[in-house]
Amino acid sequence: MQPLNKMRTEFLSKSSNEAFARVVAAAFAAQQDPSIDILADIRTAVSEAVTNAIVHGYGDREGIVVMECTLYPDYIEILVEDFGKGIEDIEKAKTPLFTTRPDLERSGMGFTVMETFMDELEVASNTGEGTKIRMKKFFGNR
Amino acid sequence: MDIKFLKEGNALVVMIEGEIDHHTANRVRERIDSKFLMEPVKNMIIDLSRVTFMDSAGIGLILGRMSRVSSVGGKMTVRKPKPEISRILKMSKIESIIEMDA
Repeated sequence: MQPLNKMRTEFLSKSSNEAFARVVAAAFAAQQDPSIDILADIRTAVSEAVTNAIVHGYGDREGIVVMECTLYPDYIEILVEDFGKGIEDIEKAKTPLFTTRPDLERSGMGFTVMETFMDELEVASNTGEGTKIRMKKFFGNR
Repeated sequence: MDIKFLKEGNALVVMIEGEIDHHTANRVRERIDSKFLMEPVKNMIIDLSRVTFMDSAGIGLILGRMSRVSSVGGKMTVRKPKPEISRILKMSKIESIIEMDA
């Protein structure tokens, strides 16, 4: 299917950009006039993906986070990519309540939230190279 | 992001206004913890009625405060979340361990 529109943004892995990213993604998705609930789900999932990149991908160092959104008639595909340390065990990372950073009071619910609030989620990661999260959200009532 | 504190009997009421994410949670956490330490109260009520966005950082924040409150034998209540915030609270099953006050 031919995309209707596409955008790409990159920003520093600063936590203040978590709000920037989710607002931008939701504003882009709004072109297809989805419901308020769907926009809220997109905002939450993007916030989780970008936070993961910042906290777990880069940790204390600063890097670049890339967000790419592709809009189709009935869904949006969102890619969030970092070039940080990568995830050693993706299945473990996706386990509810599992966190490598309990010191930060991370709840370990990031991937669970993304899986619950989006319709599709794919995670690809290579240790030392970074992590790519690809998510899809359909606009219709499913 | 703004936080207001009130006292209701033996409880510290924490009214959070704005968005709770990983970025804002640190500041919120520090302010709540120092206030809870200073006030002669045992229980905590977190009022979410003015929270417009919350992701899993909010879950971490609430669970972390709950463990502090529990450690002094107190009770934790979460009050008046908006529907979109109720969704993430339900998903996290936080409602099974924390009293919810609609």
